[in-house]
Amino acid sequence: MNNIILEKIARLFLRVIAVMSVLLLLRGHNSPGGGFIAGIVLATGFIYYGIIFGSDRIQTIIYFNTRIWMGIGLGLVLIAAVMPVFAGHEPLTGLWYIGEWPLVGTMHLGTPLIFDTGIFIGVTGLILSIIITIMEVLKWNT
Amino acid sequence: MDNILSLLIGLIFLAGMATPLLYRIWQKNTGLYLSVIPLIIFAVLIAELLQLAPRESSLLETSMGFLPGMEFAFRIDGLSLIFGLLISGIGVLILLHASYYMAKYDHQASFYTYLMFFMGAMIGMVFSDNLLVLFIFWEITSVASFFLIGFDHHAEKSRQAALQALLITGFGGLCLFFAVIITGNITGTYVISELLEQSIHLGNHPHYYLILTLTILAAITKSAQFPFHFWLPGAMQAPTPVSAYLHSATMVNAGIFLLMRIYPIMGGTMMWKYSLMLTGGITMFLGAFFSMGQRDFKRILAFTTISALGTMTLLVGIDTPDSLKAALIFFIVHGLYKGGLFMIAGIIDKSTGTRDIYDLHGLYKKMPLTTVVTLLALISMAGLPPMLGFLGKELIYEAKMQLPDVSWLLLPLGVGANIMMVAISITVFYELFIPDRKRKPIELKYKEKELPLRFTVGPILLAVVGLFLGLSPKFLETPVDNGLFFMGNQSAELSLSLWHGFNDVLILSIFTVLSGVLVFFIRRPVTRLIGKIITWLDRLHLPTLFTQLINKYVKSAAKNTNLLQHGYHRFYLLTFFLMVIALMGIQIFRITDIHLPELTPSPIKIHVALLLLVTACAVVFAVFAKSRLSAILTMGVVGYGIAMLYLYYGAVDLAITQFLAETVLMVLFVMVIYYLPEFAILSSKKSRLRDGIISIGVGVFITLIVLKAKFLNLETPVSEFFVANAYTEAHGRNIRNVILVDFRALDTMGELTVLTLAAAGVYSLFRFQIKILKKKKTGTDEPRQDDNKKMHV
Repeated sequence: MNNIILEKIARLFLRVIAVMSVLLLLRGHNSPGGGFIAGIVLATGFIYYGIIFGSDRIQTIIYFNTRIWMGIGLGLVLIAAVMPVFAGHEPLTGLWYIGEWPLVGTMHLGTPLIFDTGIFIGVTGLILSIIITIMEVLKWNT
Repeated sequence: MDNILSLLIGLIFLAGMATPLLYRIWQKNTGLYLSVIPLIIFAVLIAELLQLAPRESSLLETSMGFLPGMEFAFRIDGLSLIFGLLISGIGVLILLHASYYMAKYDHQASFYTYLMFFMGAMIGMVFSDNLLVLFIFWEITSVASFFLIGFDHHAEKSRQAALQALLITGFGGLCLFFAVIITGNITGTYVISELLEQSIHLGNHPHYYLILTLTILAAITKSAQFPFHFWLPGAMQAPTPVSAYLHSATMVNAGIFLLMRIYPIMGGTMMWKYSLMLTGGITMFLGAFFSMGQRDFKRILAFTTISALGTMTLLVGIDTPDSLKAALIFFIVHGLYKGGLFMIAGIIDKSTGTRDIYDLHGLYKKMPLTTVVTLLALISMAGLPPMLGFLGKELIYEAKMQLPDVSWLLLPLGVGANIMMVAISITVFYELFIPDRKRKPIELKYKEKELPLRFTVGPILLAVVGLFLGLSPKFLETPVDNGLFFMGNQSAELSLSLWHGFNDVLILSIFTVLSGVLVFFIRRPVTRLIGKIITWLDRLHLPTLFTQLINKYVKSAAKNTNLLQHGYHRFYLLTFFLMVIALMGIQIFRITDIHLPELTPSPIKIHVALLLLVTACAVVFAVFAKSRLSAILTMGVVGYGIAMLYLYYGAVDLAITQFLAETVLMVLFVMVIYYLPEFAILSSKKSRLRDGIISIGVGVFITLIVLKAKFLNLETPVSEFFVANAYTEAHGRNIRNVILVDFRALDTMGELTVLTLAAAGVYSLFRFQIKILKKKKTGTDEPRQDDNKKMHV
């Protein structure tokens, strides 16, 4: 399928959606959004891209294998879970750093953000993994 | 000073984890450099030993731990010091020895990783002051030993032996876990020091027999006692340094340690005495007896280890102050000579290429140093003066003789076992070192002088320490006394010396030695006899029986699993929904006290009603749809409708998620729809009727229970807590997200793990299919270049 309009749109769409998903992730703690939603949003962007360009192209632009991305996500979650232990708290306790930042003003930074990022990456990875696998099967099954 | 120890134990694990990196830098010298850590621990422990007051224990508390209530606290008393010293001290020598012995093996880095983990776990276990922490370290030793025993994993035998060891010690570990939990529930604490201070004894508790059975099972599986002894000779498949470590100071002695540790809490009852005496006595004799029939040096040593462990179990079971003292001393004795002998086996194996003692002879001239060292170790094993072994054996005899009611049985068993020990010691020495004129001399691969010091220093040092302690056993008095005080809260008469005076114990010793020499002279018929007995007993070959048992277990497990996991998706759903109906039905009829509030019907919102109408229509249409595509699309309508409903009621996050999930699902469906078989109704009318009834039932029950739940306040809803604390505690205004990533983060973590597993499942299901399809299409293993690909895209 060679459709230049669709291809252009898909490229643009993916970029917009990527930015959008990060935005959703970051604002998730105070307004609707969060890692899970952001993850699905990003995955839909990739799916759209994949429908037009084929699953191989997704694989090339995400650089790592999807299973590695899932691992990174789980790893981040684990790090966020274990970090408080070293500060003498129970695992999964939120650690917060509240500070003044230039440009943005007061900002609350904490381990839940790492946790949420882990979920974001993990969810994106796992949806993509399933989709890519199915697309592969379909591709060779015709 | 004190906190150094807890840091060092952590350091062992860290070093273990870092070994793959360190190995790249240090290469062959990894073992050499790694041995510095146990050496420092050893030095610290020696310093602790010098400070040790006779009736005091010290406690190092740290704030770190696995979980709250499972903090790492290290208890230093005589018992843990004795074990800790041996573990770390022999650990140093083993690392040195291994750094040469293992030089030609593959995967050395992982070898050192396992060994360091094993060492750290052992040290952590003996010092831990918390039963749960002790259990966790106990399990780490089991797992680490699995990897160590199966280190030659390309050999079938190795893998089997490792698996067997893991299964048996793992079973024991589970028993220990239950015992620990029950003990904790009864006493209200898992902290050993508290248990000791409150002098709690579980003997009168109704669950005592259960706990004791579990604990003893744990100890005898780990310590390879009859009838679980068979995994230990199998574990000989491990590289020699590992065997040396496993047998001398660690692993198998962990069971003995456990018995000594919990002795004040549950020891000393009739059941304790008789079960331990029985299993210990049988093991002691069997081990010594079978050792005569072996040819492999390492196997001989393995059986003598079994015998020695039996002796220790027996001594703990005899339960007099003297016997406990003898057990502790004998642990030291055994650790010293067994570690040395195994390393000597390694040296001989390395220099001659065989471990069969009947193939070797006359090594005396070529390996004079080894000969002397072996002689010292064997003297200790045989229990002759002036080595520490003599002292140990004297104490054992004394302890056994003090027991009037069963000494008629134990004494002959013990003397018999010792006679065999003497005989096997002489046999080993004779076969290995005394030259035989009829055979041609053995050629050595490496000359003794060429062997590096780190390879040979282990047995030398151990033999020297054994000799030194034998000559001046006063050094042992403080730790042993301290250990005994905390074990029994009773003080034994403690004065250790080599010469006890001319008494019946000495006469017994002399008798033992003489008989041992006699057995040595008639060793050929004796070994033949024992060999015959072994072949006869091989019909009941325990390892094989065990493997059969495991296989049968796996088979029956598979059968039962197939019963439940039949692979029919519709029946899974059926089971699931029926269970849901049943559970909800129970709830609906159980909870009856509902106070209906005064109902004031709210005005009907026209848009909500419309939405519901559309959704309901879509559901009905989906059920009766004639094609698959329309069914799927209407299902999508249902999903979007629900999402809209969420939106109306302010659940924005839920709505977004629902929309997205629905979209992704749609895309997936549309993708595969071409490839699905033709839409057809295959099920009979009856089964469709059944399914319909069930699905209506589920719907009705869910509606009922939701309505009911609305008017039911069994507990204060947890949501109020979330609302109150979301911003103050968790710094977030989006309560749903705060719940997901903070309040209920563990759930989220679990969910992500499950989803990841599902994705991995999908991948592994299709991986081979993709491969096969590719092969079919392209005709080769490798997919051809782009021109071929374009066709399919």
